[in-house]
Amino acid sequence: MNTASKLSWKIIFRMAWRNLWRNHRRSLIMLSAIALGVWGMIWMTALMRGMVDQMIDNSIKTLSGHIQIHAAGYLDDPSVEHLIPPVNESPALQALLDSNDVTAWSQRIRVPAVIRSEREVYAVTLVGIDPARERGLSFIEESVSDGVYITSVDDKRLLVGRKLLDRLETKLNRRVVMMSQDPDNNIAERGFRIGGIFDTDPQATETSYVFGGLETVRKMLNLGTGISEISLLGHDYRQLDELKKKTQSAAMENADVKTWAEQDPYMGTMLNVMDGFILIWFAIIFLALSFGLVNTLLMAVFERTREIGLVQALGMKSSNILFMVLIESIIMLMIGLAAGNLLSWLTILPVQDGIDISGVADGLEWAGMSSTLLPALLARDVLTANAVVLVLGIFASLVPAWRASRKVPIEAITRVWQ
Amino acid sequence: MRLTSFARFIILSIVALLPAQAYSEDGTDARNIIQNAIDHYRGLSSYTEMSMTIHRPDWERTMSLRGWSIGGKKTLIRVTAPARDKGNATLVLDDNKVWSFTPKINRVIRIPSSMMSQSWMGSDFSNKDVSRTDEIVDSYTHTLLRTEMADGHKVYVIESIPKEESAIVWGKEISHIRDDYVELEHQFLDQEMKLVKVLKTLDIREMGGRMFAVRQQMRHHEKKDEWTEISVQMLDFDKKIPDYLFTLSNLRNPRE
Repeated sequence: MNTASKLSWKIIFRMAWRNLWRNHRRSLIMLSAIALGVWGMIWMTALMRGMVDQMIDNSIKTLSGHIQIHAAGYLDDPSVEHLIPPVNESPALQALLDSNDVTAWSQRIRVPAVIRSEREVYAVTLVGIDPARERGLSFIEESVSDGVYITSVDDKRLLVGRKLLDRLETKLNRRVVMMSQDPDNNIAERGFRIGGIFDTDPQATETSYVFGGLETVRKMLNLGTGISEISLLGHDYRQLDELKKKTQSAAMENADVKTWAEQDPYMGTMLNVMDGFILIWFAIIFLALSFGLVNTLLMAVFERTREIGLVQALGMKSSNILFMVLIESIIMLMIGLAAGNLLSWLTILPVQDGIDISGVADGLEWAGMSSTLLPALLARDVLTANAVVLVLGIFASLVPAWRASRKVPIEAITRVWQ
Repeated sequence: MRLTSFARFIILSIVALLPAQAYSEDGTDARNIIQNAIDHYRGLSSYTEMSMTIHRPDWERTMSLRGWSIGGKKTLIRVTAPARDKGNATLVLDDNKVWSFTPKINRVIRIPSSMMSQSWMGSDFSNKDVSRTDEIVDSYTHTLLRTEMADGHKVYVIESIPKEESAIVWGKEISHIRDDYVELEHQFLDQEMKLVKVLKTLDIREMGGRMFAVRQQMRHHEKKDEWTEISVQMLDFDKKIPDYLFTLSNLRNPRE
């Protein structure tokens, strides 16, 4: 009994394998369809993930951080009237920010301002930063392309975006005038020398931010010790609930604590939509695949009606016939998956440093995307794609397998066609 | 008595010898000339009737204005013609606050700081030019470049370089000021020391009891066909001007 069943499994597998290659042309077409389907799933997902990751990364680096603390009302009216005390005045917050939960943090003054050169005037956001703290938190230092980064909180020079500099028709080391309002609604203005230029994607960032030393900006605006925002980075941008709770309890009572996703609902929604979208994408590809798969198997079973009747008459159990067809399908799926995975790996490998899409950069810029697309291959997505094809594929092939096993031997043998 | 007068003599000689050097070297002299020119232009208080012509390549228009000012700290300017613009008014108060009234919408608007460097009433003057105050003198380092002779007058040519942190974008400004403190020319240069715009005095006449630049033109150097000319028809210095003129309610409902 034991040997018999072992033997029969072996036989079933061998029969399935040989059946598969009896009409090798049809099987190869089906195999390539599966391979292409899986490739499409993985490749497209990697591109879309890369796109979204980049958008979120850009958004987080563009001064958002993972979590931000503002004074209540600041987000509706980002002016000097809505300030919070600096970190060193609240021990609880200081302790949290220095703990292991937070990888980087910084405090800033951020106010609407006007920048003026001899010929042009533009509205910008003036950001007073603590240069050492911004390292690893925001895009600022890594995008300095000319001149120097802000050297200290007392640095009296400005860091200006290249595009803004061109629009202002001015140059490095020239003077410009910044104008804003102090807390008493008086004009606060001051001349600054341009000490550095930054280049970044998207270009809107270059024209909308001007950076200066925190203390210098504070003096210009006649502020006391207050600051506009605290930005911090946790460990994973997808899991911030806990850190947000901790921040909320450590921050002053009426402070406004928000994660990047709440701060930028467009990006936050994007992330959720993407997860759903990938599943829908998988389902669509699989649906197309499964029609081919079921059709191929039905055809194979139909061709073999007589021999199925014969092996049944010779004593093969109908469950064995069911397994035989199933195994044939599984072998086909496995080979197809292997080829598909290999294909995706081979196609992603050469572009892992990014795909240049600068030709359409202008159109993509509104979405906060860069001109290079970095595909992101997640193990999770690859596993999902494979599992979806394999599991649903087996389910789909249950129909032809069931049909094959339900044939009445005498009818099958005597069946005549053509 | 003798001692004090002796002491005074000593002090006077030191004062007379030392600062003479210092005056011409460190530019205090130049600063004084600029300050005097501003005071001369403004008087303690003044009432002015003038017209402003804005010229552009494809159009030109002229407005008539009336202006009241006290010591350059408070200024009220009202448009009297043409009918289309009549009633438009600008009020400048002590601390650089500029208000604007437009009768068409019956609204008083405070000009926000972001608009201070924008054009005033569509002219080549900015809101900032209109609201210039005394502190502007201290934002520069003034140097007397040379003196020239013109029409029997001595003309001081003064170079004013903005201080590093002052809120002035120009590379430098060069003023030509006559010995009776009438400004003949004021050049604005960018930081490459290229000329950007020039304020030129076209006509000097005696008015309101002093020599006065009655016709001045602001011209952009790079846009030759764009200029604004201000021509003063009537001028009354040191006239008693009531304080109530410089209020928001008077801006909206003129009593004069």
